[in-house]
Amino acid sequence: MADPLRVMIVDDEAPARALLRQYLGVEPGVVVVGECVNGFEAVKAISEQRPDLIFLDIQMPRLDGFEVLELLDPVPGVIFCTAYDEHALRAFEVHAVDYLLKPFGRERLAEALAHARERLTSVADATGMRSESRPAAVTPGTLAAAARPAGHTLERIAVRDGAQVHVIPVERVDLLEAQDDYVAIHEGGRTHLKHQTLAALAETLDPARFVRVHRSFVVNVERIARLELLAKDSRVAVLRDGKQVPISRSGHERLKAALG
Amino acid sequence: MHPLFRRAGRLALYCFAAALSGVLLAAVLRLLTPRPWLDALVFAVPAALIYGFAVLSAWWVCRANPLSGGLSTLAAQLGAALQASALWTGAAALLGVLIARAASLGPGPPGILRDLATLFVIGIPFYLLSAVVHYLLIMFEASHAAEKSALESRVSAREAELRALRAQLNPHFLFNSLNSINALVGIDPEGARRMCEGLGDFLRRTLALGARESVPLGEELALVDRYLDIEQVRFGDRLRVERGVDPAVLDWAVPPLLLQPLVENAIKHGVQDAVEGGAVRLEARREGDLLVLTVENPFDADAPARRGEGVGLENVRRRLAAFGTHEARLVAGRVGERFRVRLELPAPHEARGGSGG
Repeated sequence: MADPLRVMIVDDEAPARALLRQYLGVEPGVVVVGECVNGFEAVKAISEQRPDLIFLDIQMPRLDGFEVLELLDPVPGVIFCTAYDEHALRAFEVHAVDYLLKPFGRERLAEALAHARERLTSVADATGMRSESRPAAVTPGTLAAAARPAGHTLERIAVRDGAQVHVIPVERVDLLEAQDDYVAIHEGGRTHLKHQTLAALAETLDPARFVRVHRSFVVNVERIARLELLAKDSRVAVLRDGKQVPISRSGHERLKAALG
Repeated sequence: MHPLFRRAGRLALYCFAAALSGVLLAAVLRLLTPRPWLDALVFAVPAALIYGFAVLSAWWVCRANPLSGGLSTLAAQLGAALQASALWTGAAALLGVLIARAASLGPGPPGILRDLATLFVIGIPFYLLSAVVHYLLIMFEASHAAEKSALESRVSAREAELRALRAQLNPHFLFNSLNSINALVGIDPEGARRMCEGLGDFLRRTLALGARESVPLGEELALVDRYLDIEQVRFGDRLRVERGVDPAVLDWAVPPLLLQPLVENAIKHGVQDAVEGGAVRLEARREGDLLVLTVENPFDADAPARRGEGVGLENVRRRLAAFGTHEARLVAGRVGERFRVRLELPAPHEARGGSGG
């Protein structure tokens, strides 16, 4: 194999990183290009280093493994390493190469590496370019949609602004506004852009709190100060900060249902 | 609703009994004023049925006037008896008139006054009898409910114990610890041995303490120390531990396995979820007659409230309740930049005395 596999380790626990370093150190054709101790570092380092493969823990402070993936574009090959087996289904939905359950042995890791090489070469053959390698059909949109298990609603939204990552608790969000392929997240006077459709993001939020009042707007009902009737069937919601949000007829029905 | 109406079978039986008393009543009326059986029955049986239902009103009167009320209850019941009997007499008068009009049967205008006087006199003791039966019924129901709730609290105490044990042996804690040992084997074999020993010791202590009703605080703290040693390997510098334990309270009896879940929570929220980690502070001291234990961790105001927060606390609350001490309580909340759980336990002898159930 001409080029070595460039891998990165993302885990907040030092022994877990040490174990991977030991295992990977003796694997031929693998070079560890970096280690990250939390999700923020990971997003920055992965964007800069563009590794072929990352070993990713799920339970990490502030930004978990799935949220890290959501903020990456392109997404490298991913091998999850976790003590929790309940995330396996989600891992497959985000096209993870493999899912290592702690504690794991050398043989299991070698097997995962073999999977990764297989996956990455097949993609490389298809594109003819090794450096562009990434699992097929993984975009931030599909990742975001899969990043939450069914029936669970989002508690925080991770957005990336260049190398900076913001984590916004959903209760702070005032309003979501569709802007082409992006969603503008209005939060206490600030606005963040997230690469996702409004429908996809709205789907992951608590429907009792976030109501789609218009094709282009999802509003946090707790921020609504009052509703004003402009003309027959034409209403606006006035938020606490004075912002006015148009309400469509079907949006008004949904709002009434949510407010009970 | 009156319990009699909850089952059709019971109600039918009661109606049958009321009708039978109607026959008895007919016999009494015939004795006082001789007349044909038909005349007596056609008046007495419906009247008895009416009163049979009227005396059920004692159910509500009994509930409103518990026996502990003494004289005022007696007065209320006597008043109710007079009222019930008077109403019944009135209803019977109406009944008598109707029967006389419809079929020219029954006591008829001249004799009816005597009959009504008889009914009024009979009605009072019957109402009081009904009141006595209802009081018995209420007492029976209360003791039944008490038994049931005692049983329920025993079951929930057992459940709480099981839950605590299961939480104690959190599989993810074990998996992560084994992964740490796995790493240490390659880079620090001596550390790996120490950790195996520590993990074994922690598990053994957990099983031993979990089987007991109460343990000295010192033993509970030793278990927490084993736990912290293991977590220290995982989190390294990110986990800092501060202790403020008054040696004088180490002998006090506490329910086992209370502190470790609190410390586990503190690590999860104050250390694991914080990029820079944080300090977990553990205190034990005496305040008056109380043993006060506090576990504190840094609190990130920016972090969204996580689902599942409070489950650990709920477990500890249940364990406190299962311990059976009413004076014991748990207070949890933010204190400035920190999250604090404060446990208050009564003096040792009270703690032991209350742990009977």
